[in-house]
Amino acid sequence: MFVRVEVAVRPEFTDPGIKTFLRKVELVHPEIYRKLRWGRWIDVYWIDIDSTRERMISAISEVFQDKVLNWLFTGNLIPSAAGSHGNIEDLMEHAPERPGVFWGLEKRYRTGVTDNVGRTIIEAFEIVLGEKVKSAHASSGSMILIEGPKLTEDDLSLLARDLFCNELIESWTLLSEDELRKSGRFYPDQVKRQIARPENKARAHVEIFNFERMTEKQLDDLSFTRLLALNNKEMKAIQNYFVNPETQAGRKELGLNFATDVELEVLAQTWSEHCKHKIFAAKIDYKDSTKEKKKNIPTVIDGLFKSAIVAATEKTKRPWLISVFDDNAGIIGFDEEDAVCIKVETHNSPSALDPYGGSLTGIVGVNRDILGVGRGAKPIFNTDVFCVAPLDYTKTIPDRILHPRRILEGLRRGVEHGGNKSGIPTVNGAVLFDNSYLGKPLVFCGTGGIIPRMTAGQVSHKKEIIPGDAIVMIGGRIGKDGIHGATFSSMAMDEFSPQSAVQLGDPITQKRMSDFLLEARELGLFRTLTDNGAGGLSSSVGELARLSGGARLDVTNAKTKYMGLKPYELVVSESQERMTLAVPQERLDYFLAFAERRGVEVSVLGEFNASGRFDVVFDNKYVASLNLEFLHKGCPRLELKAEWTGIKWNPGFVEISYDTEARKRILEILTRPNIASKEWLIRQYDHEVQGTSVIKPLQTPSPGMTTPNDAGVIKPKSSSWMGLAVGCGINPKLSEFDTYLMAQSAVDEALRNILCVGAEYGTDDSIVSMCDNFCWPDPINDTYKTAQLVRAGFGVHDACVALGIPLISGKDSMKNDYHGKIGGQSAKISVAPTLLMTAMARVSDIRNCRTADFKVPGDRIYLLGPGNMSLMGSEYQVMQMDRLKERGGDVAQVALPSSVITSQNPTGVLGKPEWPKPNWELAKRLYAWIGGAMGKKQTLLRSMHDVSEGGSIISIIESMLARKLGAQILVPEGTDIWAFTLGEGFHSFIVSAGDSESQILEAEWKEYQIPFTRVGAVTGTGDLDIRWYTGDGEKKIVISYPEMLAAWRKDGYWE
Amino acid sequence: MSPRLAARALVLTGDGINCEVETADALRLAGFKTDIRHLNDVIAENFPLDALSEYYSLLALPGGFSFGDDLASGRVLALKIQHGLKWNLATFSERGGLVIGICNGFQALIRMGVFGKDLTISQNEQGKFVDQWTRVTPQGNKCVWLKGVGTIDLPIRHGEGRIVLSSATKIETLNRFERHGQICLKYETNPNGSEERIAGLSDITGRIFGLMPHPEAFVRWTAHPDWTAYPDRASSPGQGLMVFENAYKAARDSN
Repeated sequence: MFVRVEVAVRPEFTDPGIKTFLRKVELVHPEIYRKLRWGRWIDVYWIDIDSTRERMISAISEVFQDKVLNWLFTGNLIPSAAGSHGNIEDLMEHAPERPGVFWGLEKRYRTGVTDNVGRTIIEAFEIVLGEKVKSAHASSGSMILIEGPKLTEDDLSLLARDLFCNELIESWTLLSEDELRKSGRFYPDQVKRQIARPENKARAHVEIFNFERMTEKQLDDLSFTRLLALNNKEMKAIQNYFVNPETQAGRKELGLNFATDVELEVLAQTWSEHCKHKIFAAKIDYKDSTKEKKKNIPTVIDGLFKSAIVAATEKTKRPWLISVFDDNAGIIGFDEEDAVCIKVETHNSPSALDPYGGSLTGIVGVNRDILGVGRGAKPIFNTDVFCVAPLDYTKTIPDRILHPRRILEGLRRGVEHGGNKSGIPTVNGAVLFDNSYLGKPLVFCGTGGIIPRMTAGQVSHKKEIIPGDAIVMIGGRIGKDGIHGATFSSMAMDEFSPQSAVQLGDPITQKRMSDFLLEARELGLFRTLTDNGAGGLSSSVGELARLSGGARLDVTNAKTKYMGLKPYELVVSESQERMTLAVPQERLDYFLAFAERRGVEVSVLGEFNASGRFDVVFDNKYVASLNLEFLHKGCPRLELKAEWTGIKWNPGFVEISYDTEARKRILEILTRPNIASKEWLIRQYDHEVQGTSVIKPLQTPSPGMTTPNDAGVIKPKSSSWMGLAVGCGINPKLSEFDTYLMAQSAVDEALRNILCVGAEYGTDDSIVSMCDNFCWPDPINDTYKTAQLVRAGFGVHDACVALGIPLISGKDSMKNDYHGKIGGQSAKISVAPTLLMTAMARVSDIRNCRTADFKVPGDRIYLLGPGNMSLMGSEYQVMQMDRLKERGGDVAQVALPSSVITSQNPTGVLGKPEWPKPNWELAKRLYAWIGGAMGKKQTLLRSMHDVSEGGSIISIIESMLARKLGAQILVPEGTDIWAFTLGEGFHSFIVSAGDSESQILEAEWKEYQIPFTRVGAVTGTGDLDIRWYTGDGEKKIVISYPEMLAAWRKDGYWE
Repeated sequence: MSPRLAARALVLTGDGINCEVETADALRLAGFKTDIRHLNDVIAENFPLDALSEYYSLLALPGGFSFGDDLASGRVLALKIQHGLKWNLATFSERGGLVIGICNGFQALIRMGVFGKDLTISQNEQGKFVDQWTRVTPQGNKCVWLKGVGTIDLPIRHGEGRIVLSSATKIETLNRFERHGQICLKYETNPNGSEERIAGLSDITGRIFGLMPHPEAFVRWTAHPDWTAYPDRASSPGQGLMVFENAYKAARDSN
């Protein structure tokens, strides 16, 4: 029978659902918020289950009813405990103003969109009814009941579109007061219409394409209309393959003639930029037309991946590298028993359309990379970095793009559901704000895992398949969601971007699958496995087939979400929560029985073989047969040209007196979204599940008092004091000047962050390693952007080689542009070239970990490291440029302050600022000392914080905040006070140590030639006090704790 | 119960429970022999209450997101345990069994009616998930899990931790709780809008204990959010371990 169920919080209790919604209205549409007088949130469910009325009544009461908290409305099925009306009118009677004017705004998922609650409802009914129910359907939605006499239909539509729904995956209806009072929405025929149930289409069929005599234009059209995202050269290679008589002869034997849609789709997925990384593999002619040529960048680059990334790892070859670049994640040794692995993915395109689904599937997707590495690892931490436009963006938003506030809220919720519900702690991350992310947010999701070196008597990291092994798909079912994901993300965003590319995740199905896999691994029930991510089965089976030398994929019995999927859709769908396994035939029965016991769905889809082909069968007919060699190696190589024309401009400098300006500027920088506290966000991530937490994202002596830590540390094994540190470096603001510098800065920052918390570095068996994630605007046909890419690649290479750090995994995303309209005008927005470096390392004993907060008044503060900071490329410069842009000024005219202080002159002298430069020799020595490879007094440091965005003064302020301690800073004679306090650069840290310990430390630093500067002392006042001497005597500025805290917290901006 | 099996603990897992490993670790540290078992296996084996009492002195429902918190946190898990196992936990505790429900496990115990039918648990007042350490203080001396425990710090990590009492019977409920010493753990500040700052409840025997904070997340000192200020304590146990040690003593003593 068909039933609609509405669940409302009783009026006497607070209703957090509506409270959160109203807060969003207040932030985004204050003019509508003023018209809203009252509201309530109501959960709505539509159910179609074949059962009797009596059983339904009792089941609904058990599954939905919470008598203490809720009122339940079911039309006339179950009498409501609400007041005299027994329906929603009882709720209306509790509105404070009467007579009120009421509206209902209802939303539900569009047909075919994953509805996790709907699935849980069916499970709950099965539990309660004590039997499996056949052909049952349930879906979930919500309704808000709001009151306000001045509200118009337009207001409500605006709320629906902007805040209540994402129209890509949800549809909404506006209900007038009249409709709300009538109970028509509970009538079975109306309920029936509203239950999302994809129609059963006619029998699936296969389209064919005759490549004989196809013109270039026809090839291009074919690529465009089928969203293949293949260029003309690639289409020609496909044409040549199919018209080749040898190919044709082989196909005849299988009953195949012309190319099928399945084959085209498989090729398009496998050859997509997303899967194949064609740009990173391209041959590039690099020309440097500046005077200061970097000799180490060759003029002909034989693939940037090979010559910069892989080369760096080869040059730093370390014995503890177990598997790099060829599996789903990089694996390195942790201790004698276990190895650890890491992978960072990007999920930008889906997140632009649906940020919630995008980040959720980004996280559970990269979790599957870890589950699918070697013979399967256990995910033990997540790290998430988001890049979005500023939340107070007030100009017109591009068509089809969501406001940055909604994007970030969706991304956050994705982590809450994707990370927290999977039971994986989110231990590290960052959020960056820049207008260039308006058209496409960047969403980096990373996961680390642990894997025993041996499992079930096998070496865990080796992947092996024996011809005859069954192809087995487990986890979620196949639907239309995520069709063309890989090809879509290989294109720019435009008005035609397919909504089917959006996927929603189901963390619980994945959690069940993941628990099952780790158990099955120990039982030796499968040979190997991989994730079904981009490209779906076509990629997972296509890839695994290389291990045995072929595969016959039979999709006839693939479990689907609904009927009527075409064979090509079955093959390329990217529906979530699926893994593909190779299961030995003799263990298949046991495997199937065990999966059933764990509530995990399995489809057996043919077998791996040694045919040299990737064949696909549907209903006993071949629908695809591709030569494996051609599939994986037939894609023509891309050729690109790059020209580096140098840093476009250098900022000018003016002498500005520090005492008049600095106070205001420091507070201004402290409150910039890139610097300000992200506590509101971090607290919504579970960073402690699994019980392994050692260093948390925030150092918190007591609630509300925090200092951000530089990196996360976990203790992955309960039996050992060893820890694992993870941190990141990202500095896209330098890309505007030179991506070589940007990349070096990212590597340096990632390493410094993990060193701060106590990572081992510099010893023979320290396992510092990094992942690189490039997110670029499309470099094709753009020699400058290509040059930026090349320079970033070699920046990473040079820094990693100098520091002896191998790259173990990475990913590149090359089409981060938006093409569309803003307010009717054509527009293109390209992201700033962005590189995320994620560093992972071992901590030999977590009991020696450090945090960033100052601990004790009277402690000495040092700037450890070279300290040659510069305002060039700093947050200060970006702030000044933003201000010029606001006013419509010329950014090239930006002028930065400079003032070298001396005790002779009454005012400062203009300095000679330069771009920050790394000194890797010095850095290696400094880092080896911090990392415990030389010296022995590191544990005397009471706090350590890196100097990055905002400069040393921001690091000092952050270190003060957690304990409400102050700092008295004395600026050394002869330094440029602006650069010293607000400049940024390489290799420096703010550290503190007790007064007596500091002498021991200084002696050791001198012994090892480690540069340090005494900068002041920790005080008990809570104030920041900066002093310096001029010809006029002592000068100072003081900023109070409440001022700094208010600027840094930025309350009211975030949510 | 035979003495040989006295200190055995059953930790349930499956369907989105995700704190089973650290909960089992905490119990092991306290002295228990521990089995982590999948709920489906226990149901499939038709494991009645008698068997539970025979083999185990302790049942733990760990934290997590069973069934994704869909419909309401812990609700479908509670239905599955009630319909699938039909265990009467009151009888289990009368026979000397101990039960702990942490976070999602506590939510499930509430849905099962272990603490009465006139209370429930719902979304935090602020409408969002929160991961934060809170100071909690044991109340009274009824709960065997909290014997001798003073004010301690524990993390909360939940979106639905607000205890709600039926408005019609609020006074009676509070009186009943008072009489039996059931409100056994309170927050110092109120991080989620919970009625009476309730952080944990026990049944009338004091042997069934449910709480929103995670004691299993603080069994070593280095888990505390400010431990680096006290580096000399780095090798010490955390304050949450006492809760499990109390259970171990109680399990031994009830033999």
